[in-house]
Amino acid sequence: MTRMFRALRWVLPLAPVLVLLGLFFILPLGELARMSLLAQRPSPRTPEPAITLANYANVFADALHAEMALNSLLVGLTTVAATLLIAYPVAVYLTRCRPWERTIISVACLLPIFVNVIVGILGWYILLLPFGVVQQALTALGLIDGPLRLLRSFPALVLVLTHEHIPFAVLILASAVQNVPQDRIDAARMLGASNARIFRTVMLPLTMPGIVASAILVFALSVSSYLIPILIGAQRVPVVPMAIFSYGTEQMNWPMGSALAFVLLLGVAAITYGVTILAGRFTRRGQWDLV
Amino acid sequence: MGPGLVLALRIFAWVVVAFMMVPVAISLPVALTSGNRIAFPPDGVSLRWFASIFADAVLLGSVARSFWLATLAAAAAVLLALPCALALERARFRGRVALETLITGPRMIPQIVLVLGLLIWFERIGLAETFLGLVLAHLVVSVPFAFRTLMVSVAALDRRLENASATLGASRARTFVKVTLPQLKTGVIAAAIFTFILSFNNVTLALFLSALGQRTLPVEMFQRMYVGGMTPVIPAIAFLLALGGAIFFVLLDRTIGVFKHLAGRD
Repeated sequence: MTRMFRALRWVLPLAPVLVLLGLFFILPLGELARMSLLAQRPSPRTPEPAITLANYANVFADALHAEMALNSLLVGLTTVAATLLIAYPVAVYLTRCRPWERTIISVACLLPIFVNVIVGILGWYILLLPFGVVQQALTALGLIDGPLRLLRSFPALVLVLTHEHIPFAVLILASAVQNVPQDRIDAARMLGASNARIFRTVMLPLTMPGIVASAILVFALSVSSYLIPILIGAQRVPVVPMAIFSYGTEQMNWPMGSALAFVLLLGVAAITYGVTILAGRFTRRGQWDLV
Repeated sequence: MGPGLVLALRIFAWVVVAFMMVPVAISLPVALTSGNRIAFPPDGVSLRWFASIFADAVLLGSVARSFWLATLAAAAAVLLALPCALALERARFRGRVALETLITGPRMIPQIVLVLGLLIWFERIGLAETFLGLVLAHLVVSVPFAFRTLMVSVAALDRRLENASATLGASRARTFVKVTLPQLKTGVIAAAIFTFILSFNNVTLALFLSALGQRTLPVEMFQRMYVGGMTPVIPAIAFLLALGGAIFFVLLDRTIGVFKHLAGRD
């Protein structure tokens, strides 16, 4: 009896959340898996078709899907590189600037977490419009001559994704850089190491868990983003989540959308897992989640 | 680090500040135009587009919907996540890691994958295009976040105070209300505000799950940008959103520290 009561003390506080997640997290994913194995039905009244792997075959056979997968991968990798290159120096500077500077820099760098993603996209859209601010500035500087297609391009897509995901990298990297013991750096300097050498032999190894964790997070977030691709890159740079959106809401081809969703999920999971394993050979395992 | 390198870092950091701020701030001058097109520099200056927010019934309806959705989701997420955090923090059984993984699971998978599953599932069980379905979907992604945030405060609880209270003869319930809860106050407020902002700003869930005339504010903005025919009323409301977000952020940072709660995961 006492044993049962003790078990209840653990189960009762957890029960509502477990029911919620069972009904609206586990079961929907199960339904998604089932849907991905069915053929598209012409109408809901058509009897349910037999289980098939045709949707998955189609994902890999279709040339457009292959282009999307390649684009997603390239967009993800470029965004990770750009985000880390921008966020790392900022994280280093955050540990040695004055408090008022720290406040302004962290507010600016974390803003996209608190401000709707649509606001940022709209801002970039206005800046990059034909004859918009960026084009006027570049023309005034004499860098370009005549109109330039800035929107609907690969660089524009990476630019906006980088802007949106810098907060996550700054958050993780700032705490990683902060945890580097100052005496290690001082010791290296006293022994005559140059800045470059201190970075390579002290900072880089000690902040590697943070670098890996933020790279994985930014990669996962940017390859599964679809609002920015739809509004900035559009059909010029098709990526996988755009197709999921289109199959799910516009074409109402749920079996195809579900198969693509699972390929995206497994692709992201495989790359995350692979990188974590690889990095684990050099560092401890980094924690991460999608904020 | 030499002074030259520090100066270089300083300049770089301030360029990044500009890079982060300009796209958010540009909506203000664009919204202040007296003309009808979206352009910078604006054609003249007026407040007519800010005024027109209040004449746009569809937009106002979506603001109200977003507000109630985020309020319900945040309140329910905190109420559901707090008992979980309290139970799991003290738990020392084998399933603990598995349970924590399950609870944080909805944040680990791409939201577009989750929402397609929810769309298909809701269609099957009759929750499609309902407000209740939308709230439940937001709850699924809010609970993990509230849980993570609350775990930080629960881990920081001073257990000696509870023991003292028990020793002095207080009942378990009284100890919880008088000793445990007050210590969790800032954590609960932080979790509620964070999950509110998260739900209020979410586009994906409502874009897939809400009915045609039932759009939330971010979805309404998305649709006007995506379909076309956007007037400067959208930059106007975007600027107000940005301002609200920034104020929320500074207030939170002043009272409880944003870094602690956002970066407190390791």
